[in-house]
Amino acid sequence: MASTSTATVDRLVRLDAPEEPRRRLPLSPWHLFLGPVAVIMLLPLIWMVILSLETSSEAQSFPPVVLPTGLHFHNYVTTWNSEPFGNFFLNSAIYSLTTVAGNLLFCSLAGYAFARLKFWGRDVLFIVLLATLMVPFQVLLIPTFLIVKHLGLVDSVGGLIMPNLCSAFGIFMLRQFFRTLPIELEEAARIDGTSRLGILFKIVLPLSLPALATLGIIQFMWSWNDFLWPLIIIDTASHDPLQLGLSALQGAHRSHWNLVMAGTVMSQIPMIVAFLIAQRWFIRSIAFTGIKQ
Amino acid sequence: MFDDVTKVFPGGTVAVDGLSLEIEDGEFMILVGSSGCGKTTALRMVAGLEKPTKGTIRIGERIVNQLSARDRDVAMVFQNYALYPHMTVYRNLAYPLRQQRLPKDVVRHRVQEVAEMLSLEPLMNRRPAQLSGGQRQRVAMGRALVREPAVFLLDEPLSNLDARLRVQMRAGLKRLHGRLGVTTLYVTHDQVEAMTLGDRIAVLSEGRLQQLGPPQELYDRPANVFVAGFIGSPPMNLLRASARDGRVSAGDFLLERAGLPDGALIVGLRPEALRPAVDGMPSIDFRVDVVEPLGDELIVHGSLAAELIAASSDSDVAEGALPVANGTSVEAVARLAPRDRPAEGSVIRLGIEPENVYVFDAKTGVAIR
Amino acid sequence: MTARAEVTRGVDYRRPSLWQRIIASEHLAGWAFVAPAVILIAVFALIPIGWSLLLSFQANNLLAPGHYIGLANYKALSKDPQFRAAIGHTIVYTVIFVPVSVLGALGLAVALNRKLRGIRFYRLAVFIPLVTSTVATGIVFLWLLDPTFGLVNYALHALGLPQQGFLQNPNQALYCIVVMTVWGWLGFDVIVYLAALQGIPQDLLEASEIDGASKWATFRSVVLPLLGPATLFLVVWSTINALQLFDEIYVTTRGGPLGATTVLVFYLYQQAFQFFNAGYGAAIAYVLFVGILIITLFQLWVGRKRVYYTS
Repeated sequence: MASTSTATVDRLVRLDAPEEPRRRLPLSPWHLFLGPVAVIMLLPLIWMVILSLETSSEAQSFPPVVLPTGLHFHNYVTTWNSEPFGNFFLNSAIYSLTTVAGNLLFCSLAGYAFARLKFWGRDVLFIVLLATLMVPFQVLLIPTFLIVKHLGLVDSVGGLIMPNLCSAFGIFMLRQFFRTLPIELEEAARIDGTSRLGILFKIVLPLSLPALATLGIIQFMWSWNDFLWPLIIIDTASHDPLQLGLSALQGAHRSHWNLVMAGTVMSQIPMIVAFLIAQRWFIRSIAFTGIKQ
Repeated sequence: MFDDVTKVFPGGTVAVDGLSLEIEDGEFMILVGSSGCGKTTALRMVAGLEKPTKGTIRIGERIVNQLSARDRDVAMVFQNYALYPHMTVYRNLAYPLRQQRLPKDVVRHRVQEVAEMLSLEPLMNRRPAQLSGGQRQRVAMGRALVREPAVFLLDEPLSNLDARLRVQMRAGLKRLHGRLGVTTLYVTHDQVEAMTLGDRIAVLSEGRLQQLGPPQELYDRPANVFVAGFIGSPPMNLLRASARDGRVSAGDFLLERAGLPDGALIVGLRPEALRPAVDGMPSIDFRVDVVEPLGDELIVHGSLAAELIAASSDSDVAEGALPVANGTSVEAVARLAPRDRPAEGSVIRLGIEPENVYVFDAKTGVAIR
Repeated sequence: MTARAEVTRGVDYRRPSLWQRIIASEHLAGWAFVAPAVILIAVFALIPIGWSLLLSFQANNLLAPGHYIGLANYKALSKDPQFRAAIGHTIVYTVIFVPVSVLGALGLAVALNRKLRGIRFYRLAVFIPLVTSTVATGIVFLWLLDPTFGLVNYALHALGLPQQGFLQNPNQALYCIVVMTVWGWLGFDVIVYLAALQGIPQDLLEASEIDGASKWATFRSVVLPLLGPATLFLVVWSTINALQLFDEIYVTTRGGPLGATTVLVFYLYQQAFQFFNAGYGAAIAYVLFVGILIITLFQLWVGRKRVYYTS
């Protein structure tokens, strides 16, 4: 099942037409359906950009100004300066990158152990770890806050990162993937005297790049867009990651919607650009979560 | 039913080129050829799954080019069976009938009938995943039979079975056709299936019809080099030759035959026609390489002192069936009786009755009588 | 036959020491490999699960250590009208959100699964909202639906229809949140469905066509059943996510107007981090947990009976 599903995911991911030999109709009735849908999906984003380029009074006028008189790019500058946006981006970058790195490392180690090594208590431990996935984050929220407080990491990026360095989801996903690799390669390396750690890093991981990329992307998206946990943990504005900073911006500039929109545009652009560039990987990762369940 | 049909795929591949083929009512017609020769495409055009770029397809008297597959009253057995995985065998068999909105008792009756015919009764409540390959194949056939269609289309239905099952199913298919007499179009790349099952065989290569006729005729009188090399196992040995004044020579093989044009020719020798030379026969030296004993005969691989042409269906045969000289390879095959067993590495002299030698034009590959 | 004897004589074979055996043992290696993960998950998941339960039996204000009050929190919850309202809002939201997003995604996926000019553009248009954050979604829709300056009300005005309060109207706010979140999440469901649709072998669709089925009959009898696993997954996944709704509420309505959009997790947040009733909050969290568990198990049970898994 795994091999056929990656094949279909790849076909989907190419964003091309599927291989059906259908006639290409010049103007299929489907356009009448998909056209408006596309408009509805993109309209909020387009509107967001338009608003960000208007003056404050234009942004709050009735009827709404659809074509601003001028392109007020300086809104972006103003917005950037009004809140520590540089810090926002930096904090989010640190948060996302370290959680991705942590997950890739720790989930690989653990996933490999569960997949290939036999050790006392392995299966029970695995089930226990999986069980943690069933518990919604809100249950963990308050105690995690208290733990982080005890560790002295409240209101710091460290506090953001620690609880998210390793997820049971990643362990589960990588374990399943490692098991699909042919074991002969690892056995051959073992006979050659490679240490287990060496096998993992030199043989298994290089073969697992698609799975690692998927996990990385999922974790990155999750961390970059995370809101609830930063909300609880961070107090100082300059320690905010991006989404929290955006919310703060919204609070600070309630009457200047053009600025709020400029901030929103700025904060979403990295993710949207990343998506457009690496469409294949994003879509494959998302489809993967669906298929694996 | 095919009338100068051509199918060109987007991207320029000419899958079928000017195919014209008339199939008799109740006939078991085989489309045979190697992969990519267009036979499956032709079949799918009859089914309605592909539309011809040019030409018409008729079923009975009607031109069906514009008819969708649903309305054509054809039934198809797919190579991978295409059984509905989420339905039981019963529901798989009943599906086509239910699409026709037939009353439930009629459906049940017909499904029963077909199940009996194909010995499927014990499997009725199982799902395809629980069936063996042979059982799935029978369900696929049953689903086609249950409709009592005008035309039966089969796309390499036996290719996914193991060898023993294949032999069994072949006989079963032949029996069924004898009983039911439905017009059948059968696609395969296996010439044994073609020879054993077909009333008539259409040999296709690169989208074009090479020859059409009953099995024996294709064997005895191949129309060109391609058919000659395709029908018969092991394939016919084909040699480059030249002729002058009614004398054909290929290496040290000499044949007298009147009426042959001068110039380059191709000579064909069937492995089963070769035997230890006797005086007066055209003959040729044969260096024995490997001997494969089969019990009742020997397959002897070796080389001939001549330039051989590989004209089998696996190598490229360019348009016009011009043979490609495979100069470096001079392998040949002969079928001998066990008592004539040669020693490996020895050189023996093999002969052939002059009337069994096939001659083809070197440029076009067409047979010269 | 002599070779074997020579081999054993040639090799210097010494039994490894106990220490060497321990290091080489797979047990140690196994535990060493999982150690970091286990520690992290134990500290940040396993312990909190238990601690949360303990907290729910306490009165705790997050600053000073709490004291135990037994089941008082749970008893209070059962009488709390706001809690019951929160449950109600959450359920209404979920019951609307899940079918709309799953069915909508199914329709979209079918539409997007064909060879059309510009299909890449349409697909991208559907996928992009997925990568925007919940905060961005909230902010943009807050403005789109603004009663005075919003684009939607302007469109209604242009069509001669009455202006709506949307997020400021207690009767409409929750439904606006549904629209907003469907917009943000639709892409995910569409991707899953598209992958599932493309996993259906072409053969089956052709066989069905030859067997005389119309496009619709093929869809109903062949495609839909084979999409069963994907549908089940999406329903379970969407339900779990819907029951945990928070971000968009915080960014737009803060639970208002008049508490109309206070869903469970938002109520939890208020109690634990605004009123500092951590114990009460923990109790809410546990009730939510149990609720999600029961609903998910129920869905899976129904699904097991009716969904057929190929392979």
